Amino acid sequence: MREVTVEFQKVGKRFASRTALAAVTGELRPGRVLVVAGPNGAGKSTLLNILAGVLRPSRGEVTHRDGDAPVPRPHWFEHLGVAAPDMAVYEELTALENLRLFARLRGRRRPDGDLAALLVELGLASREHSRPVGTYSSGMKQRVKLAQAVLHEPAVLLLDEPSSNLDGAGHEAVAGLVARFRPRAAVAVATNDPREMAWGDARIDLAL
Amino acid sequence: MRASTLLSEIAAVLAKELTSELRSRVALNAIGLFGLTTLIAVAYQIGPYQIQEGDRPHLLSALLWIILFFAATSGLSRVFVKEEDAHTAKTLRLAARPLAVLGGKYLFNLMLLIGLYALIVPLYCALMGYAVRGVAGLLLVLLAGAVALSATTTIVAAIIARASGSTTLFAILSVPLVLPLLVMLIQGTRAAAASSELAAVLPALQGIVSLGGAVMIVSVYLFPAVWHD
Repeated sequence: MREVTVEFQKVGKRFASRTALAAVTGELRPGRVLVVAGPNGAGKSTLLNILAGVLRPSRGEVTHRDGDAPVPRPHWFEHLGVAAPDMAVYEELTALENLRLFARLRGRRRPDGDLAALLVELGLASREHSRPVGTYSSGMKQRVKLAQAVLHEPAVLLLDEPSSNLDGAGHEAVAGLVARFRPRAAVAVATNDPREMAWGDARIDLAL
Repeated sequence: MRASTLLSEIAAVLAKELTSELRSRVALNAIGLFGLTTLIAVAYQIGPYQIQEGDRPHLLSALLWIILFFAATSGLSRVFVKEEDAHTAKTLRLAARPLAVLGGKYLFNLMLLIGLYALIVPLYCALMGYAVRGVAGLLLVLLAGAVALSATTTIVAAIIARASGSTTLFAILSVPLVLPLLVMLIQGTRAAAASSELAAVLPALQGIVSLGGAVMIVSVYLFPAVWHD
């Protein structure tokens, strides 16, 4: 796996006259989990969107580095795995079809057995894999969303409220996933859940 | 290094579009219903005998493209808006190269258009008594029209999806691109109806291919900015 780091310097975001995120500085690096905490509306999701390259910051700078080499923004998505509340997988497709699609888009030819094993690791029983995602509960959809975020073994993993809609077993599955990626990937978790905050090696507290 | 080629990623997006559409049938129903309803209304009200012989090539060609264009627009314009509505756009944006998305969506729209033509054109010819002398010429015009119209509707659909799905914006952006295309398609169809010589449709065909090609090239450069920013 590539050693990718993400540095962000005084990153801020304004939407019209409203400040969504004040100047924030930090770093994501392999072997470390960064927790981003703060009340609703403090800018946790905005910061993760900026780190993912989905949003451009109004001020400040984000740099992704592969080793020492800066990675151009259009290529950031290649080493990213992201799961967030404002993302969804395709409801007309089954869980396995979704994972097959995202694996192909990411240039990975993973056997169905591997994809099914990933879904099972996240707590989605085998009998559910061939049903359209549209028939799933919100917790089951969250598990598929998490699976699409990690199926390509990303070097940077951005998780926004990863245990939302999940029961206790689901939370444990996500904790296991974070533990599996911690040694080799740079991980950021945006959360207000004390159990998820406990995963962090470093923490950024955002204020309103 | 990414193992896959752009082509296999385009194929993945196309396969996703086809599977989703075959299961939801949203675009198929919209296009089919609009096309058939308009065709039957036109055939019932005008039919083959209400138009004088001298006016037939002009009027029947124009009517055919009005039906095809508006039926197509009812389905093709939603190809990106549905991703935003379903919150899958961000997931796709973070997993796929922009050109793979553009290519897959373009091919899907092209297949929908060809399906629409296959349904409507033979029925139209039968119901309206539209005798076409140059069948090969008509097929060429239809094919070039599908290629160009899909390119136009796909890039405009991408732009409006980023503008919160405004259908008004779709109309405004479409007019300068689609109007000259429709005029050339009507001219080409009229020429094919009047003559069995392929040379008769060549002037219109050249215009359609040129405009379609220009839109495609612009789309390849414009789409990554539209998709990501």
